[in-house]
This record gives sequence, structure tokens and C-alpha cells, in this order.
Amino acid sequence: MKSIWKNYKTDIAYDELMYSEFQSRAVSHRLCQYLDSLKKEDIDKRKIAAELAIMEMGISFTVYSDEGNIDRAWPFDIIPRIIDAKEWRIIEKGLKQRLTALNCFISDVYNEQAFIKDGKMPGEIINSSKNFRKECIGMKPRHNTWANICGTDLVRDKDGIMYVLEDNLRVPSGVSYMLENRIITKRVFPELLQDIDILPIDDYPTHLHEMLTSIAPHQNGQVTCALLTPGIYNSAYFEHAYLAQQIGAQLVEGSDLVVNDDDCVYMRTINGLEKVDVIYRRIDDDFLDPEVFRPDSTLGVRGLMRAWKAGNVALANAPGAGVADDKVVYAYVPEMIRYYLNEEPILPNVPTYLCGNEDDLAYVLEHLAELVVKPANESGGYGMLVGPHATAKEVENFRQIIQKDPRNYIAQPTLSISTAPTLCKGKLEPRHIDLRPFILQGENTFVTAGGLTRVALKKGSLVVNSSQGGGSKDTWIINMEES
Amino acid sequence: MLSRSAERLYWLARYLERTENIARLVNVHMNLLMDLPKGVEMSWRQLILINASQEEFYKKNTVANERNITRFLLADESYSGSLISSLSAARENIRTSRELLPDEAWEQVNEMYLYAKNNLETVANRRHRVLFLNEILKGCQRFTGLLSGYMSHNAPYRFIRLGRNIERADMTSRILDLASLLLSESRSDEVRQYETILWMNILKALNALLIYRQQMHSSVNGDDVLNFLLQDNTLPRSVSCCISELSDCISRLPNNDDLPLVLIELEEYVKAIDTRQTTQEQLRGILDDLQNKLGAFHNKIADNWFLSN
Repeated sequence: MKSIWKNYKTDIAYDELMYSEFQSRAVSHRLCQYLDSLKKEDIDKRKIAAELAIMEMGISFTVYSDEGNIDRAWPFDIIPRIIDAKEWRIIEKGLKQRLTALNCFISDVYNEQAFIKDGKMPGEIINSSKNFRKECIGMKPRHNTWANICGTDLVRDKDGIMYVLEDNLRVPSGVSYMLENRIITKRVFPELLQDIDILPIDDYPTHLHEMLTSIAPHQNGQVTCALLTPGIYNSAYFEHAYLAQQIGAQLVEGSDLVVNDDDCVYMRTINGLEKVDVIYRRIDDDFLDPEVFRPDSTLGVRGLMRAWKAGNVALANAPGAGVADDKVVYAYVPEMIRYYLNEEPILPNVPTYLCGNEDDLAYVLEHLAELVVKPANESGGYGMLVGPHATAKEVENFRQIIQKDPRNYIAQPTLSISTAPTLCKGKLEPRHIDLRPFILQGENTFVTAGGLTRVALKKGSLVVNSSQGGGSKDTWIINMEES
Repeated sequence: MLSRSAERLYWLARYLERTENIARLVNVHMNLLMDLPKGVEMSWRQLILINASQEEFYKKNTVANERNITRFLLADESYSGSLISSLSAARENIRTSRELLPDEAWEQVNEMYLYAKNNLETVANRRHRVLFLNEILKGCQRFTGLLSGYMSHNAPYRFIRLGRNIERADMTSRILDLASLLLSESRSDEVRQYETILWMNILKALNALLIYRQQMHSSVNGDDVLNFLLQDNTLPRSVSCCISELSDCISRLPNNDDLPLVLIELEEYVKAIDTRQTTQEQLRGILDDLQNKLGAFHNKIADNWFLSN
């Protein structure tokens, strides 16, 4: 019988599962052999079973439009992505180290600003940052944690090294899909999950709840948590509802909450007003409180910042935490780790050129066609230039844009991000992937075992965003050592 | 419990009960028409009469035949009173209340919705329609059973029961309306001849035939059936039973104000009806009045607990 791996290409980039069409990596050996033992029809059947499960579990994005609501099923690839637990333990340490340093930095920025005073970073970067909120100056949230929930994006380059692509410190999403992906895989490959020692991930909601409780303003008696969502029209609403249910929090919209004269936050219930202690907010700073930020916001709660500053409610993530999400600030994270923790960074950054620096700018302008250029404060891949894939005209256009506002642009070498076998029309083909682990920090720090692996389903594409033809995979951290 | 959530669960239950009732109604009517000989002046048109949806129906259709009426009542997504519209509204409400309900509740409604959506076309065919309606009835019952076994019988559950029973009482009164139409003095001898079949089907529509036989020890007769469906204390779909369910929920909810009193009044009102003493016209008036009282009661629930917008 012909091997399912025949003609599988591993020369495009580093492949997570295969060395070549003839040899799998040690960690993926069992899976690859197993897949090879299945008939083509069997694999197709599993795929159909997965699609059915997704439909029935209602894992979907909802795209709302004038023509009505379109429920798009969550695009899922049944072939898991695998990482050796030995490697994962190092990554996990690196992620904890990174978030700890970032929280030190945010605290410092809104208080002493020692990092700047000691000449580690020009103060101008903070003063000109869109996400620096002067309203937060002097605040000290519990445990000095500002970014409580973080979804760091990791990519593996051709050298086999995992790099941090960005730290998402505002309202990172995707964790519910990570959890659901495992549930589907359990339905689709029950035999495999039985035999292989895969680290479990379903303790995430427990840790999330524990973290939220640990940052409550008072530590006596029961803590009331609420998850603040922009509402049912938000594309991540599924996740908001899912998480609220998993952690036993009330799922609230802005109009369910009110801040009274005592500067406390209450929700409108069938018993009247009930006090809220911790809010896991899934709306951006800008919309949080029309009294302080955008006055036209109808998603937020008038007076929420007052209540937070009075220490009557905890917000996760804290307002202003996004200051460290600036891609210019990103370039300084290795330095932060050395400065605050006195350690060497475990996870490397992608080399980053800051267009605000004259030398860097000169280099960037000279090498535009080879580089990826990103605006400092956008997320979701907007407003980028991918030099090698751009036309000469686009490159020239971008040159003008950068020169007008160098502070707000950074550039990085174009990475060749790793691939993993993905089921495409019944055949296994390499597709580019990234990884978003989720890190929680309150009193303790917790990292998910693995994370959400996103995959660019289109051949050759590097874009993993689900809105642009991306899908996802289950992520297995496998313990290879005999126990 | 959030006011917003209370409102969503209440509507979730109303829409699901409506879904089930429409399925029941079409099912029974279909059976009735199969039993009755051709030429009896019973038709599909009566189904749109009791929903007061003739106007909307005739905007889209010219002929009130089986095919058009069943499509309108079951599969017309642009008619807000259709089975598919009710089911999809129920699904939207449960989708936005998932944090309060067991996972299986959402999956159950979602599955049922997907089934309905994928099989909408089949309802034109009578044999397929029977299967379709059975599947929906089973799904609704599964949902009710699932909540009763899996869910804490706390405030959210009470709002679900409230919604279910107010909708149920309303539907029972509409079915009685239909019955009173058929009782009209001008009915032909031919109809009189098949009356028993007709009343048996009305009882079946409310799952009441067995209970009726057990309680009444008599043959099925029109006046008895009407009284039974209004006032029996053990029949889950009788108006009285629905009202006492409402009372029970209301008394266990916080801030219920004068709602228990309103319900006592309503209970008395229903008890005082005697269908043996009323003309068909009076009965219709009474049922109209009852429906208005239920509507007013709904408004009171909304004022008391829901998010005032």
C-alpha cells in the first residue's frame, strides 16, 4: 500500500512532524504511523466526524451583516501539532519569565519609571504611545499584575528556534478554541489519546477562576466575578459565553452594570443591585468607560475607572496594560528581563529594527524589499508590508509612510515559519502554523500546556488569522520519558 | 441572576414551547383530516385562524391548501410565528445564555435547529412531515427532561418554567378557541356525526386523551372536554395547571410584589368559567379575555424582573 506520506514536502520550512517523507520526528512517530495505518476513507470519515461535532457543539464565529447572521463553523484540521514536553518545559519557563518582566515594566511605567530613568529606554517611546493611559499613573493593582491574561504568539523559524512574535496583553482571544479542539480530537482519535501521554489542558478554566479570585480587592468571603462582553454581535462572543460558563462568572454587557455614588460596581439582577468584585473585561480600554475614554462608547460602564482607581473592583487586564503591547516596546523586552529579573531571556525576540532610531531607519529603508514592516500599535495583521511579497510600488508607498511617522513603525526580517501536515482534500500537505499559548498571572503564574495552533489553510499562505482563511489544530505536548 | 439573563431564559422557554405547540397542532390536524371523510367542512385554514395570521398568510399565498399552510406554519423563515422562526429565536436566546445552562442544553437545541434547517424542504411531503414533526417533538421533550435532570432548580430554572407555562396556557386557550369555532350552532349534521373524532383529536393535541379517560370515565363529549382543558388540576396543559405552575415559580422568586395576588385572581377567573352554561359566542369572549389577562401578566413579569430598556 502506498504510504500516506509519499511526496510529503519538508523542504518548504521546518516541519513540526516530519524530517522527510520517509521519516517522522521521534515525538510524532506514533501519530504518523497510526495515520499511515488508516485507509483514506477512514481519514475522511474522521474529518467528517469532526465537522459534525463542530456543528453540533455550535463552535462558530457569527458574522453579522445586513443579510442576516452567518454562522461560520470553526475551521479545524484534525491532524494535531506536536511538541516534545522536554522542549515545552523550557518554553513554559520562558513565557513565565517574559510575562513577569512585562508586568514589572508596566508597573514601573505607571509609577517610578526607573527603567527610563536608568537609560534603558527613551522616555519618548512611552510619552508617544497610544496605549499609555495617564489615568493609570500611580495605580498598584494587587500582586502588581497588570496583564493577567496574555496570549503570546510564537513562531518557529527555519533554524528550529521558537521566537516570540508578539505579546498580546490587551484582550487576547482563542483559548476556548484551544479547549474545544481537544474535545473534538478526543471524539475523533480516541484510540490515540488513550495510548499517548499527552499533557491535559482542561484545567485552564480552574486556573483562570483562581487567578481572577486572587486579584479581587478584598480577600474575605465570596468573590463575585463577571465577564464583560461587547455583546452578542462580537465575533468572539462564543468564547465569552463559553468562558463565563466554565468559570461560573456572570456574563455581562455594559448596560448590566452600574457604578453608584459609593464608587462600587453593581450588576442589575432579579434581586436588585449586586456588587461585583472582579471584572474579566473583553472590551478595549477605549470603550471601557465613557467618562474617561471614548465618550461615545455604549459598550462600557460610566464610572468604571473611578471604581477601579478607588480599589473597589479589579479589572483583568488592568487598563493601560496595553502600553507594553506596543511593538516598539516589544523590542525592549529582553532588556526588561535582564533589568527587572536579573536573568537572561529564555525565549528570543525576532530581531527588530525601530524606525524611530536613525541607524535602524537607514537600514530599514535600504532593505525594505526583504523585511516585514509593521505599525507599532495595530493587531490582527493590519497595515503591514511583507517586503518579499510586495510589488515595487507598494514598497515605495510604504517608504513614504514610514518616513512620515518613523516612531510608529518597526521592521523585522521575513521569517520562514514552520509547517505541519494538514489534511487538504484528503491529502496531507505542509501548511504554515504558529502557536498561541495563554499565560495567566495573578498571585501565581500559569501557562497552558501547549496553546492554540493556528494554521494557514491556503497553500503558501503565511496568514493564520481565522478571518482570512486560517484554521486551527489541536496541540499535543507529549511526554516521551518513560514514567 | 442578571435581569438580562432572566429575560433571555424566559423567552427561550416561550419560543421552545411555541415550537412544540406548532408541531403538535399541525400533527394533530393532519391526523384529524385523515380521519374525517372528504367533504366535511374542516380545512387547513382553521390553523391560521387560531393564530390570527390569515392576513400574513394571504399576503404570500393565494390558496389555503395543505401544502401552503404547512409550509407557512413550519418552514417560512420570514413569518415570525412559524416553527422554524420560533426555533431559531429559541436558539439565539440559548446561545446568549450558555453560561447559565448545562452544555447539553445548548447542544440539544442547536442539534434540533440544524436538523430542522436541513430538512425544511421535506415538510411538503406528508410522510416526511410526520417524521419531521416527530423529531421536533422528541427534541423539545428531551430538552425539558434534560433541564429537569441536569439543571439546578433555582431562579434561572424558574424563569424557564414561567415562560413555558405562560406560553402553554396561551396555546391551550387558542386550541379551545378552535374548538369553540367547531362547536358553532350552524355546524352541519355531518360534522356532528364526527364530533367525537374531533374532540379526541383536540385532546390529543394537548396530550390529554389518556388523562381525560382516566378522570372522566365517560365518552368524549364537547362540553366536558372544554371544562377539562380549562380546569383540570392534574393535566399539565390545562389552563388551571399552567396557572398553578406560574404561582409556584412566582412565589419562589425574589421581589414578586403583587404578582401572587394577580395570579389568585386569574385562578378564580378560570374556575368560574362553566362551558355548559355559555353560548359559543360568550365562550369566545371569555377566551379572548383570558388571553388578554395572560398578556397583562407577561407585562407584569417584564416590569418586575427584566432589564428596563
